Amino acid sequence: MEDTSEAVRKIIEGFGSIVLNVEAVHGLPVVKVPKEDLPVIAHFIHTAPSLRGTLSLQWAVDLRPGERRFQLYYLFSLKERGDWLVLLTELDGDDRLFHSITPHIHAAKWYEREIRDMFGLIAQGHPDLRRLVRHEHWPKGAHPLKKDFPWNTVMERRQGEYAFRRIDGEGVLEVPVGPIHAGIIESGHFRFSVAGEPIMQLELRHFWKHRGVEKVFENLSLVNGVSLAEKVSGDTSFGHSLCYCQAVETLMGVEAPPRARYLRTIFLELERLHNHIGDVGAICNDTAYALAHAHCARMKERIMQLNDRLTGSRFLRGVNIAGGVTVNLWPYHLDEIVHELDEIEEDFTELTQILFNNASLADRLETTGVLNERTAWDHGVMGVVGRASNINRDVRRDHPFAAYKDFTLKVPVYHYGDVQARMRVRIDEVHESIDLIRQAHERLPEGAITAACLPAAHPGDWALSAVEGWRGEILYFVMAGQDGMIHRCKARDPSFVNWPAIQFAVLGNIIPDFPLINKSFNLSYAGNDL
Amino acid sequence: MFRILRKSLKTGIVTGQHDASSTSTPTVAGESAEKARSFRRSLAIREVDSGSCNGCEMEMNALMNPVYDAERFGIHIAASPRHADALVVTGPVTVNMEKALKDAYRATPDPKLVIALGDCACDCGMFKGSYAVTGPVERHVPVDVKVPGCPPRPAEILQALQTLMGHAGVAVKGRALKPKG
Ligand code: SF4
Repeated sequence: MEDTSEAVRKIIEGFGSIVLNVEAVHGLPVVKVPKEDLPVIAHFIHTAPSLRGTLSLQWAVDLRPGERRFQLYYLFSLKERGDWLVLLTELDGDDRLFHSITPHIHAAKWYEREIRDMFGLIAQGHPDLRRLVRHEHWPKGAHPLKKDFPWNTVMERRQGEYAFRRIDGEGVLEVPVGPIHAGIIESGHFRFSVAGEPIMQLELRHFWKHRGVEKVFENLSLVNGVSLAEKVSGDTSFGHSLCYCQAVETLMGVEAPPRARYLRTIFLELERLHNHIGDVGAICNDTAYALAHAHCARMKERIMQLNDRLTGSRFLRGVNIAGGVTVNLWPYHLDEIVHELDEIEEDFTELTQILFNNASLADRLETTGVLNERTAWDHGVMGVVGRASNINRDVRRDHPFAAYKDFTLKVPVYHYGDVQARMRVRIDEVHESIDLIRQAHERLPEGAITAACLPAAHPGDWALSAVEGWRGEILYFVMAGQDGMIHRCKARDPSFVNWPAIQFAVLGNIIPDFPLINKSFNLSYAGNDL
Repeated sequence: MFRILRKSLKTGIVTGQHDASSTSTPTVAGESAEKARSFRRSLAIREVDSGSCNGCEMEMNALMNPVYDAERFGIHIAASPRHADALVVTGPVTVNMEKALKDAYRATPDPKLVIALGDCACDCGMFKGSYAVTGPVERHVPVDVKVPGCPPRPAEILQALQTLMGHAGVAVKGRALKPKG
């Protein structure tokens, strides 16, 4: 926090005459600036050696019906440890234009295209204003998150085609893949340009699965939103619902009791475990190493069955509610968890020894799909993928939530940024998670598991919350509306940030390695498309 | 080499180590039962995600793991709708996926079955009415079997598929990997 006020001081020092207002919203410093000056200040935060801010999230809010204004928020994570700072600017009345920061800050690229599609606000100077969320058959002028767009609009279809970036030249071929893929995977389109085997360019065309999640949120009350948060990305049901609940708790001014916070920690780590173990197997499977896949799938299944026995849901759904958790763990549950995890750790360690001794596996994984540190930093890449490219960030350590401030966390970081590094991060985190669960089990406090009462939130108040899900940093921005409803909910899965980076990681690799690289990122399509 | 062998011997056989499905068996009648007769011994499935949250995909994947091992019942995943006997559709059918779903259906050779997997596919779930959703699945393609649940457990999916294939008699009677605590 001190560092952040330091940052605010620096901004006021440099731009004091243009800063309109500085305030703290639930402990988060918010600097309001005129829209014309925003790009300069954003550039300063991004480049000043003492700040080195990466853009973590950019989003818009339509304040109607209360006021005829749009707000644009920019969340920066500063320096190594990611202290937060919010820039805010407002567009009055019928103003539809704002200034793009993408020319200086790559990470804003998709956010600004998204804001254009969802709100009809245009980022002037953006180098690429093709549609992102709205596919070409959407009618003109359909901007779903504007308040005058009814949530249940039936849209007409029109003709149109996405203009892919083309590489022309002798022997250059385009290879389209998707939206429906060969395995049991989600829908998305990849367009490769190749000359011979190596990939010269990859372009993603996603958002096939856009379900209108953020608009549906606006039909729900703050208390009921949690069941939708669980469905943003099914494999991260617990991470998303936790992040959502934390934001709502801040809005209501309540805190989950200590026991609930410990239980949340245990469940979040269980979710990380089954996903990481499954991923290690899936990476091996894409090198045709089926043995490892079978073992990992078996261990993953074991943890999901454990989840089911503990909570009645293999995906830990229905556990989080605003103010705490619905499921208590009794001593025999806790003994069962520890016993299971002891066995799984031994099982998993034996397997990883087999993996590390397999030269042909190492040959496929090493130097494949390298995402270098510079590219990762420029795009604000985070989570497992970031830590494999030397981006040393982890919300559990940097902005402790649930019970994480009571534990010391070893954050594994690798430099190479290849498939091998991403697998190593996962393997290290499996051990770390098991360790955390053991510690949480030892120190689990007694007491209630839900907050005594849930006061009403102030309409117009907002809160931001972050959770380190198994993929990386999940962010929720929730603004309260009238009568306990949600005015606006921005959900950000780490996939939205990491997808564009994959376009750089594949360059120079051959198409047959793409599934392997994609698996090592293992990003969510649903969480990206919303 | 010995390490791998030791690991396999130590692990033993895990197939079938899961709880039996606790939901009722879906009914397959009339024309669907007629079509399903030709797939009694082997069913090639193409999974089409029409906008799921990926929970349903995860459970479809689990179906192929050593614990459920659907392949032992002749169920396997085909890489293309052209090689499929049945489409398993998940998700509420988004406006962006509607055409792709219809294309996949058209590309699947007759006779074919369509299985709507999960609450989203059956009736759009929480997304019913959303501007971005045009489903449910049966609005666009004829559905033979619905498997509700959010998501349905793998044991339930397996039971539904077996009923469809007409081997309800050999329905998996599983037991959990670990007894209930
Ligand atoms: S039915 Fe449930 S698990 Fe399946 S796609 Fe829909 S929300 Fe996800």
